[in-house]
Amino acid sequence: MSTLIDLAGVTKVFGSGTGAVHAFGPVDMTIEDGEFISLLGPSGCGKSTLMLMIAGLLGITKGEITLAGRNVTGPQTDIGIMFQDNTLVPWRTVRGNIDLQLEMRGIDPASREEDVEELLRSVHLEDFQQRFPHELSGGMQQRAAFCQAMVHRPKTMLLDEPLGKLDAMTRENIRKDLQSLWMQKRPTVIFVTHSIEEAIQLSTRVAVITPRPGRIERIIDIDLPFPRDFDVKSSPEFTAYVRETQEIFRNYGVI
Amino acid sequence: MASSDKKPYFAALRIHLANSWMFIAFFIGFFLFWEYAVVWFDIPRYILTPPSLIVEKGAADLDRLLYYTYVTGLETVLGYVVAVVLALPIGLAIAFSTILRRTIYPFLVCIEMVPKIAFAPLFISWLGFGLLPKVIIVFLVCFFPIVLNAILAFNSLSEELTRFARSTGASVWTTFLKIRLPAALPQCFVGFKYAAINATVGAAIAEFIGSDEGLGFYIQIVTGNMRPDLAFAGIFFLTLLGLALFGIVTLAERLLIPWHISVRRTAH
Ligand SMILES: Nc1ncnc2c1ncn2[C@@H]1O[C@H](COP(=O)(O)OP(=O)(O)O)[C@@H](O)[C@H]1O
Ligand SMILES: [Mg+2]
Repeated sequence: MSTLIDLAGVTKVFGSGTGAVHAFGPVDMTIEDGEFISLLGPSGCGKSTLMLMIAGLLGITKGEITLAGRNVTGPQTDIGIMFQDNTLVPWRTVRGNIDLQLEMRGIDPASREEDVEELLRSVHLEDFQQRFPHELSGGMQQRAAFCQAMVHRPKTMLLDEPLGKLDAMTRENIRKDLQSLWMQKRPTVIFVTHSIEEAIQLSTRVAVITPRPGRIERIIDIDLPFPRDFDVKSSPEFTAYVRETQEIFRNYGVI
Repeated sequence: MASSDKKPYFAALRIHLANSWMFIAFFIGFFLFWEYAVVWFDIPRYILTPPSLIVEKGAADLDRLLYYTYVTGLETVLGYVVAVVLALPIGLAIAFSTILRRTIYPFLVCIEMVPKIAFAPLFISWLGFGLLPKVIIVFLVCFFPIVLNAILAFNSLSEELTRFARSTGASVWTTFLKIRLPAALPQCFVGFKYAAINATVGAAIAEFIGSDEGLGFYIQIVTGNMRPDLAFAGIFFLTLLGLALFGIVTLAERLLIPWHISVRRTAH
C-alpha cells in the first residue's frame, strides 16, 4: 500500500481577530491507498471541516495536504463526495440526479448507462430511478446520494455522516451494503461519523477526534476480519475496541 | 406528470368541492345579501346597485367594457413583460457582481421604499395621456418585486450545492444552467406572482390620473355620472384582467417547476 493522502500540520481557523474560531488542528496524519478510515468524534469537533479541506473546498489556514502526490490548493475533482446534507436536487429524479454528476463533468450520461444501472442495483434502487427525491424515504435518499457521489467512478470517497439522520435499522442495512461495496472495489474511503460502533464496524482504522479545537487524539487500527457481520460485532474483540474508544471520550469529558 | 392523472384529477375535484362548499355557499350568500339589502335598506341607486342590475347594465355597455379591457390589458401586459425582461438580467448581474451589489442594490432597495404610484402624475405630465406613461407605471410597479426576488433567488443557493458544483469542476456556465437557474426559479416566481397581482392596480391608477380610455378611465367617468352599476361592471372586468394575468403566471409556474413544493401542495 502507498500513501494517498498526507496531512502535515493542518489547521483551520474561521474568521480573524477577536472573532476568530480555532476549529481544527494542527493535525498530522497519513491515509493509505485502499483503506477505510473513519473520522470519529462528537458534533462540532471539526470532522466536516477536515473533510472539506481534503476535498479542496475549504481553505487551509496553516499546514499542507497532499493528495496522490499533489498539493491540495483547490477543488479536487477526481474524488467522490457525499456531503452532510445530501445534494439531490428536487427538480430531477433519482436517475436525473445521478446523471447530473456526469453532465456537470461534461460526460454524456448515455455513454454510462450500464454503469448507472449497475450502481443503482448495488444499492437496490433500480425500481426507484424515476422517483423524485421527495418521494423517497430518508434511507433511499441517502442511497441515491451515494450513487450521485460515485457515478464518475472515483477511487477516493469522502462520506460525511451519510447515515447520520437515519433510523437504527436502516443504518444497519446500509452499513452492510457499504461494506460489501468497499470489499469488492477497495476504494479509499474517508468516513465521517459520530457513532463509535459504526466506525469500528466499517473501518480499517478509526481516527478519534476530540473537540475544541478538533484534534486527532488517537488512531486505532481495527484488526478484525471482514465482512464484519453480526458474529464479528458480538465478539469480545469488537467490544474491546468499543470500550477503548469510549474510554478516550470519557477521559475527555465528551461522554 | 404521469398519464394516469385523469382519474385522480376527478377525485381531487370532488375533494376540492367537498372542502369548499362552505365557501361557495358563503359566496352566493354574499351576493344574495347584497341584492336584497339594497332593497330592504332602501339604498338609492346612485349610491349602490344590486348585482342583478350591474349585470344587466354592464351587458348593455359590453362593447365599451370589452374595448377598455383590451386597452388596460395591453398596458398591463406590456408593462409586466418589459419588467420581467429587464428585471431578470439586472437581478442576475447584481447577484453575481460585488460592485453592483454594493452600488445599485442599495439604490434599488431605497427606491423600493417609494410608492411607485406617486410617480404617476409626473409621468403623465411628461408623456401625455397615451399608452406609454401607463406602461411605465405598470413597469415600475412590477419591476422592483421581480428584481429583488431575483437577486434573493440567485444569491441563496445552499452551501452544499455550491460545494457540489465546485467539486465537479464544472464551468460557471454549466453550473448556472444545471443548478443555479433551476434552484432560483421558485423564488423568482414569488416576484412574478406578486408583480402580477399589482400590475392591474398600477394600470388602473395611472388611468385615474390621466387618460381618455381604459377601465380606470371608465370607472372614474361613470362614478362621476352617478352610475355605480357601471363602475362595478368596470371593476369586474379589471378583476378578470388581474386574475387572467395571475392565472397565466401560475400556469407557467406549474409547467416550469412542477417539482416545487408550492406547486405540489396546490396540485393535490
Ligand atoms: N463557516 C464557519 N465559520 C465559523 N465557524 C465555523 C464555520 N464552519 C464551522 N465552524 C465551526 O467549526 C467547528 C467544527 O465544525 P464542523 O467541522 O462542522 O464539525 P463536525 O462536522 O464535526 O460536526 C464548529 O465549532 C463550528 O461551529
Ligand atoms: Mg459535520
